[in-house]
Amino acid sequence: MENTAEKKNINKSKAGRRAGMILSVIACFVILVICIRAGSVYISLKDLASIVASHVTGKPLPGEVAPMMDSIFWTIRMPRALVAFLVGGCLAVSGAVMQALLQNPLASSYTMGVSSGACLGAAIVLVSGISLPFILPVTSFAAGLITVVIVLAFTAAIDKMSSNTTVILIGMVFSLFVTGIMNFLATLYSDHYKRLWLWMMGSFSARNWTHVAIVLPVAVICTLIVIFFTRELDIMTFGEEQSKAMGVETRKVKTILIIVSSILTGVSVSVAGVIGFVDLVAPHVVRKLFGPEHRVLIPMSFVYGGAFMALCDLIARTVLSPQEIPIGAVTALIGAPFFAYVFFAGRKKG
Amino acid sequence: MSLIEIKYLSAGYTKTPVLKDISLTVSEGEAVMIGGPNGAGKTTLLRVMAALLPFEGEMTLEDKDASHMKRRDIASLIALMPQTQEMYFSYTVSQAVMLGRYVRMRRGLYGPSAEDKETVDRVMNDCGVYELRHRLLSELSGGQLQRALLARTFAQQTPVVLLDEPGNNLDIKFRAELTEYLETWMEGTTEYNGKKIKNTLAGVFHDLGEAARLCRRGVFVKDGKIVSDMDLKESFNSKVLNEVYDFDVISYKRTESAFWNS
Repeated sequence: MENTAEKKNINKSKAGRRAGMILSVIACFVILVICIRAGSVYISLKDLASIVASHVTGKPLPGEVAPMMDSIFWTIRMPRALVAFLVGGCLAVSGAVMQALLQNPLASSYTMGVSSGACLGAAIVLVSGISLPFILPVTSFAAGLITVVIVLAFTAAIDKMSSNTTVILIGMVFSLFVTGIMNFLATLYSDHYKRLWLWMMGSFSARNWTHVAIVLPVAVICTLIVIFFTRELDIMTFGEEQSKAMGVETRKVKTILIIVSSILTGVSVSVAGVIGFVDLVAPHVVRKLFGPEHRVLIPMSFVYGGAFMALCDLIARTVLSPQEIPIGAVTALIGAPFFAYVFFAGRKKG
Repeated sequence: MSLIEIKYLSAGYTKTPVLKDISLTVSEGEAVMIGGPNGAGKTTLLRVMAALLPFEGEMTLEDKDASHMKRRDIASLIALMPQTQEMYFSYTVSQAVMLGRYVRMRRGLYGPSAEDKETVDRVMNDCGVYELRHRLLSELSGGQLQRALLARTFAQQTPVVLLDEPGNNLDIKFRAELTEYLETWMEGTTEYNGKKIKNTLAGVFHDLGEAARLCRRGVFVKDGKIVSDMDLKESFNSKVLNEVYDFDVISYKRTESAFWNS
């Protein structure tokens, strides 16, 4: 009960909510710094700062910082932590959008089959050996979008009321089916097996500044588009009919937002593979802390999802070091029990 | 002036329409009761009047073809209060009522204006939920939720309001207050497209007595067709009611009132 009291307080006072948001952003920044610093090689904050400063200003490194440190921290750890942060943010925002559109706190790109569809798209590009610029992110996005359209069409055909449970169940069925095809491909093209397997479980290993450059603009543009629609998202949580009655062009808004959230998921999958549960956990936690209004929920989901992913990646690369745990396994170990908790706690109420 | 004009319209959720060949005109300033037995198509008729369902036939709203109108324009003319349903996300009452301002608010990323805030406070007060404004919708009782949704509907500030069983879940005091509130509201006007339009109401009411206090006109639906459309009091005195409900409504109501009079 303490929890609900706290929630109400934050909901009530705008100042409290703003303070909470600022604290969250600071905490997120601290987590990122920890994620960059933690590992087998130690670096002082001062040295880390001078490495970043030298790259930003273009001045040469001060003499006391070893060039090896520069390559470890600037070339390996920083981009890796940043990619993890960005991917986590993208997935969380796309999850929050899906949940509003389907009026279901259990909806996400992962449960809707977007992730596995995007993964299959990426796998086909990988296996076929086609190499064109941007073919991987573009194919992932297209395949993810196709999967979600099929899932929605299937749902509409089976259940004319398109009830939320049906959507989730069919999404899960498609997700598992597509994963089956992936496994089949992985076995068939055994020389790609290791790479495909990593893709299915997700990994941030060896991600560099190029990956940051792919994800960053997509993350910023798509999140800004979503923020533009926050009022509509709030209304859409009351269902399509009420949204229409309140003046929202539901079909248009839904189409735009499903495409945007598929792009967010597609780009994430194309750089990191399939990673589940972040898109479920982050928006849920943010709603508990800050309430359901999307103008707060969307940016805060990005912050929380990003920080959560960066932490999970830290766990993935340090716990069994020098071996790495697939990031999807880490998020699932934390996320699956959480998913069950949300599902059953929600049921008790109803 | 007619605000809603429906001609030879059929509509429904699947291929077999719920409403068949309906014609109905609602003029400015009217209060219309929609009645009929369970499953007759009353809610569907309300949805059609708010242009929420795909239909075959003709429909004009304030002399414009409804099928070519934008949602925003329809929702500035007509607000619909739906029957209560499950809530998935926990908005507070005042947040939810503010959402009703969508068509009236400045577009873009602006926050609510002083006028928006004022209107929201006023309608929450009118609907008796001002004290509950910081509560979460998911924590409200059925009747409280009903009043919160009513407030959201009036926050939309439309000249036409459609209500689907607004008295549902309300205790007798709030039902009486609701009727009173609607009576007062009916005397006013609302601005739409720069014109002042007399407030207009149509609703599904279960209590014929309450409906009769508000509505002059009664439209009765049965098996997806309008079977009677006339002065409500007159229909009470004819056999229409008994035919619509397949039940001797008038004797039942007389026995009931005899009980209160004794």
